[in-house]
Amino acid sequence: MKISYNWLKDYICFELSPKMLADKLTGVGLVVASIESVEDDYCIEIEVTANRPDCLGIVGIAREVAALTKGNIQFPATDISGSSGDISQLVKVEVKESILCPEYTARVVRNITVKPSPEWLQKRLKCIGLRPVNNVVDVTNYVMMETGQPLHAFDLEKVSGRQIRVRRAENGEEIVAINGAKRVLFHDMLVIADEKRPVAIAGVMGGKDTEVTDSTKNILIECAQFETRQVRRTSKALGVASDSSYRFERGTDPLGLDYASKRTAKLISEIAGGEICKGVVDIGTARNEAKKVVLRVDRLQKILGVEINSDVILDILARLQFKILNHVDNFIDIEIPSFRGDVSREIDLIEEVSRIYDYNNIPTKTSVHIRGSKKSKHEIVENFIRDSLVGLGFYEAKTFSIVNPGFLKDANFWSGEEAVEIANPLRQEESILRTSLLPSLVKAKLHNANHGNERVKLFEIAKVYLKGKKLPDEKNCLSLLDFTDFFEVKGIVQLLLKNLKIRAKCEWVEFNETRLFNGEKAAKILLEGKTVGYLGEASKELGFKTPCTLLELDVDVLVRKADFDKKYCLPSPYPMILRDFAIVVDEEKTWASIENCINELKIPLLKEVNYFDSYRGKQIQEGKKSIAFNVSFQSHDRTLKSEEVDNASAIILDALNKKLGAELRKQ
Amino acid sequence: MSEELQNVQKKFHDEVVTIKTLQEAEQLKVKYLGRTGIVSELMKVIPKLPVGDRASYGKQINSLKDEISRILTEHIDKLSIGKKPAGKREVFDPTLPGKMYNPGKKHPITQTIEDIKDVFSRLGFEVAYGPEVELEYYNFDALNIPSDHPSRTDFDTFYIKDDILLRSQTSTVQIRIMEKQKPPIRIIAPGIVYRPDTVDARHSFMFHQVEGLLVDEGVSFADLKGTLNQFIKSYFGKNIEMRLRPSFFPFTEPSAEVDISCSLCSGKGCSVCSYSGWVEILGAGMVDPNVFEAVHYDAEKYTGFAFGLGVERVTMLKYGINDIRLFYENDLRFLSQF
Repeated sequence: MKISYNWLKDYICFELSPKMLADKLTGVGLVVASIESVEDDYCIEIEVTANRPDCLGIVGIAREVAALTKGNIQFPATDISGSSGDISQLVKVEVKESILCPEYTARVVRNITVKPSPEWLQKRLKCIGLRPVNNVVDVTNYVMMETGQPLHAFDLEKVSGRQIRVRRAENGEEIVAINGAKRVLFHDMLVIADEKRPVAIAGVMGGKDTEVTDSTKNILIECAQFETRQVRRTSKALGVASDSSYRFERGTDPLGLDYASKRTAKLISEIAGGEICKGVVDIGTARNEAKKVVLRVDRLQKILGVEINSDVILDILARLQFKILNHVDNFIDIEIPSFRGDVSREIDLIEEVSRIYDYNNIPTKTSVHIRGSKKSKHEIVENFIRDSLVGLGFYEAKTFSIVNPGFLKDANFWSGEEAVEIANPLRQEESILRTSLLPSLVKAKLHNANHGNERVKLFEIAKVYLKGKKLPDEKNCLSLLDFTDFFEVKGIVQLLLKNLKIRAKCEWVEFNETRLFNGEKAAKILLEGKTVGYLGEASKELGFKTPCTLLELDVDVLVRKADFDKKYCLPSPYPMILRDFAIVVDEEKTWASIENCINELKIPLLKEVNYFDSYRGKQIQEGKKSIAFNVSFQSHDRTLKSEEVDNASAIILDALNKKLGAELRKQ
Repeated sequence: MSEELQNVQKKFHDEVVTIKTLQEAEQLKVKYLGRTGIVSELMKVIPKLPVGDRASYGKQINSLKDEISRILTEHIDKLSIGKKPAGKREVFDPTLPGKMYNPGKKHPITQTIEDIKDVFSRLGFEVAYGPEVELEYYNFDALNIPSDHPSRTDFDTFYIKDDILLRSQTSTVQIRIMEKQKPPIRIIAPGIVYRPDTVDARHSFMFHQVEGLLVDEGVSFADLKGTLNQFIKSYFGKNIEMRLRPSFFPFTEPSAEVDISCSLCSGKGCSVCSYSGWVEILGAGMVDPNVFEAVHYDAEKYTGFAFGLGVERVTMLKYGINDIRLFYENDLRFLSQF
């Protein structure tokens, strides 16, 4: 909303420079976006919040200035005396949709001379960025900018049958608006029609056919109220917006019609000559009762945390033109003026008082009680994972959770169901909620590779969205991408599990169900038999020039299973004895089977089994491999004798031989 | 020890006392311990000895070798201090770079959220979460947003189905928490929100917000100011001033936009603050009684305040980032700077 500095001074006397005025207005919630000097005037652009349509007219701004400066507002006179003819004989108005058009008024001015507006009027309009058209259109615009009430002038002789009908449009009816846009209308839109056709899109824009031109002699001044949603819907559907629709969408003053209509008629007759016809056509439904609200002074003080006394409260409210009906002790009875549709409750009045009192005059207290706060397990685990990975050289990524369906087809690990779709996506590329984080991380890697960086270590902790009952199941996942191989990343998983003290049995099962991974080195990770993640070396299809390994883990499961109970264990004072083994087994035998075989023996002194390496080569028979590992033994109450350890080693070798056909390696 | 070995030993000791330079020490080392040196020559004898003598002779040579080696090393070390061989002078350069370790970094958005959580957790706020795919009720109805409000249209909100949407604000978490918990409440809710804005330098269809809520008996607008002031001073700096302007949010009343003095120009006016000296940083207000009604709180007994801020916006301001898209490109040249 643009206003002219000089124009504002017509209604209120104040001693403030444009800059000071702007600061004051900003301070009461009318944020001044810019001040521009225009000739001998200033154009001040104000951002008016959606709840304050009363400030979409300069008069509304003047009221705020009055409250701020304790000045008095003067409104221009609107005394008119109809001189010729009776309007009821000249025009018929019929409102068929009284809910969508609660009130419609019409006035007629005859024998006018349409010509350019006088200079003062043109100057005012130009100052706030409006293009002068002619003296009639300019006056309707002028009064709209003054009062916030949109008006429209029809060339009465072009209104067929001198008949105004406020009705729904027929499906397929057409209208060419004043701005030249041709629009097809539908039944859910409201129009102003004459006998034959629509002559205006109600509240949005007038029609070209009935617009005021140089040859116009008689005009009909429309001043009406339209239902806000109807105007918004129609304006949006037709792609036609105007200063009128902007105001109607936000709501106009239901009691402001008469003033605006008279003011327009008076100004037109002054500027364009002509005679105002006697009377007004006013078709309106029952007037709303004025709202009455009780404000408790102690409640206001409690909410704001400051002792504002009732004199100050009364003064502020009166200046904002709230009517004080009664004031007894703590209670103030207030009548809300019709232009303040946003105020209907005690809290609204408290806001009004605090606004003018100035938020910055309210003290800055810290009287709320002290309270401790605790981190949730979820936060602790997430932080731990982040810190660990950052320490290991990984950068954290953030990627969009709305993704391209094509890119995701191969990454639906967690659910067999289709992804959740967005009904109104911006683009096909961002139309479904992701079921895996990995494709986005792959994209991030390609971005870096395209900028010359292949050595990328990235991770992300974010949600995947799986179809649920009513709302989707939002699962927190960790995805990770590294330029190393399977076992390096597996080591990271094992480190996380170990440090989160997750003791549940973890299994690594071969996995080749997605084309994200190359079929050979990929695994599904199970915790106590339930899938907790996927790890694999990237498929060549992803287009990486260098090796790359991908991981996705279910963070929610990690949070559930993590254990932060810490207890100190006294280390054994007795030495630990290590025995190295190198065994030869069939190629198919896994390390897990060797480890299990040893652990199942439940040798009491055995502490740990540690894998070294695998070897295949000249000395090893085709189809076999050599596995080297060591086993540590230790007791808490004595030094072990070498025979004890020898015996245990023999038991281990025997079991490995019987179960897995393992032989001790000779060379 | 055999006579031969004793002679070698004696000869070595005679020679070693005459050493004066590092060069001489190195020469002596070659003479005794080199590949064709005296000790190696002694070793060659071993295979020729009777089998029974070999082991003990070998041990003797080894201990002699160790002795020579130890004495020479000591000499060389002593002579080396502060003195390098002529023509090959080496000077210790402490200004050479150290060994580089390459840890990663947390995403700047995460860092900002952690910083904010940090400040508020010291004020007793706990972290709360809510779903991103939400019922319309939590995103609008319960927050006192009228059924005809423009933000409900599919121009401003992503929908999945009629009454299911992607939350457009983290205020949803307020309602979910208040439904489950009775006052007092003190939460902070960081999270992702979505709005169908075409992506450009200032807009993204997905971004992060942090929502705060405090409900208790006797909480006032003055407490809201106090709390935000604590946050602003500790997050942006002690010299940063705060300014409140009346504003409008359906779920708070009175509502305020909170500005901070521009840290770039110290309030003098620059392009970042549009020459106003102030930068808008968050929205806040007293919880609207209609919101309390939706969660069956007694609005006469309890009062509270809420606030919300855009994480990307705060991060961009703090670090002078000029394009929101950078946060989601994950270019290491960007991520490594924070």
